[in-house]
Amino acid sequence: MTDLAVLSGAGKRVRRAAVDWTGIAFLAGLAVVILLPLIVTAVWAFAEVWRFPAIVPQRMGLGYWQDTLSRNDVWTALWLSLGITTTVTAISAAICFPAAYAFARLDFPGRNLLFLAFLSVQAFPKFGLIVATATIFLTLHLVGTFWGVVLIQLVGTLLYMIWIPVSAFQGVDRRLEEAARDVGATPMRVFWSITLPQALPTLFAAILITFVSTFYETDAAWLIGLPNVRTMPMVMISFINNALEVQYGAVLFVFLWVPSFLLMLAARRVMGADAFARGLGG
Amino acid sequence: MITASHPRAEGGGLSGLLLVALPVALLIWLVLWPVLQAVVGTVYFPGKGFSLSSYAFFFTDAYSLRNLWLTLWVTALTSALRVAVAMPIALYLRFRSGSIAALVQSLALFPLFVPSVLVAYAFIRVLGPNGIVDTVLVALGLPKLPTPYLTPAGPIIGLVWERLPLTLLLLLSGLGRVSIASVDAARDLGAGGLTIFSRIILPRIQSSIIVALAFNVLGLFSAFTLPYLLGPASPEMMGPYMQRTFSDNADPLNATTQAVITFAFCAAFGLVYVRAIARGRRGPA
Repeated sequence: MTDLAVLSGAGKRVRRAAVDWTGIAFLAGLAVVILLPLIVTAVWAFAEVWRFPAIVPQRMGLGYWQDTLSRNDVWTALWLSLGITTTVTAISAAICFPAAYAFARLDFPGRNLLFLAFLSVQAFPKFGLIVATATIFLTLHLVGTFWGVVLIQLVGTLLYMIWIPVSAFQGVDRRLEEAARDVGATPMRVFWSITLPQALPTLFAAILITFVSTFYETDAAWLIGLPNVRTMPMVMISFINNALEVQYGAVLFVFLWVPSFLLMLAARRVMGADAFARGLGG
Repeated sequence: MITASHPRAEGGGLSGLLLVALPVALLIWLVLWPVLQAVVGTVYFPGKGFSLSSYAFFFTDAYSLRNLWLTLWVTALTSALRVAVAMPIALYLRFRSGSIAALVQSLALFPLFVPSVLVAYAFIRVLGPNGIVDTVLVALGLPKLPTPYLTPAGPIIGLVWERLPLTLLLLLSGLGRVSIASVDAARDLGAGGLTIFSRIILPRIQSSIIVALAFNVLGLFSAFTLPYLLGPASPEMMGPYMQRTFSDNADPLNATTQAVITFAFCAAFGLVYVRAIARGRRGPA
């Protein structure tokens, strides 16, 4: 996967070759297929009047932002979503990071087997797993509750919150730790002053991925949460199904994309594309 | 699997076990136990003994079979389309560099950062009735498009769009194993593009294609949001079908039976996929 890095880095090397027509064709095609739908939808959010078949809106303005963002269901869902997402991410980090440290650095019986167990969750189609868990939640009266949604989403985060930090802890320079210990640092001191700071950027990336993907999670929130627990994506779905004013959904579209946009900015800095692909088994 | 970077690890078998205990307990309670419960609970009924009646129902019920069949062919078609769309882009990115290639790559990876609810909404604004495509067609004096919204084509288009980046990344990682020198050598010997692709490139990226396929099958058998929002109400893919059986029909037994059936159909692919990620994980990079 290093080739991806090479490819993007090679951009700086100016080639005096022929014009890259293939690339321009791909670029045009992708712009139409990938960007245009998003731009059109975003324009809807700022269109006060856009009647078919006009190519551009008849009137632009922020009127619908006021309308949408003054809806109670939107704010209730936003706070609920942030609450669930923060809870899931915090619990996940609290239980998974120590486990990741153990998997990366300690030698204990059954280590490989247990790690394989986390991977093997990926062998099941996820929605089937959610249905199977929901059946158990029925008997525990967890369906339609805050904690039911937290638990099912928490399980979904386990793999990445262990897996990504494992490589972070494995990547820590052991010579620095040994040097610190040689000059008399206690194991705890070594962990806080040497190990943790080195692993921190990757741990932060794992937290960010977990937070954003939990925020947008729909499958489990739908099956376990509804009708009592309505997260932000559920409000978006009700806007789609109930065909309210087009603009309500469009405003929410722009508004809801913000966390993903932040993740994208962070991804460009912290993570290489190869991290994604390796995570997928590429 | 994960090799300790130092054989003389900091010891402490007990502390290691304690540190992993909570996530492992959660895994057992909320994954292994539900799977076991689903498999056993659909064939063994306390007090009544063994019965395969819910499976017999599924495999004789015309509607269930239509849903399974729909899921199978949508899976086949979507997987094929994803590879067909991603392959040319991957080949281009492997053998070309420059600022345009970098831009192509960023654009193709962009859907990674668009959550599926938002994909569904954008889809309707573009390809739905009186969407932007219709607007443009009418402006050009052409007839409107028969909209794919709420037809089987709807989810297929959405699902291809949404997972293009991951398919592309898998193919690119496979193409990383193809040396440019060998392609150049074949070209110097007069091999055509098709020969180079089938004789040199394809054999090297076979495993990546298989992993991409396994990944697709697992994802499509559990696809829910896009088929639900963009697809027809009937027949429906397994995801929406399970949800409706569980929530609307309040029938956990049949919903769980459907879940176990999706497990069975995905078992072989799941094994391939987990083996691949376990291999990719081995040792720190």
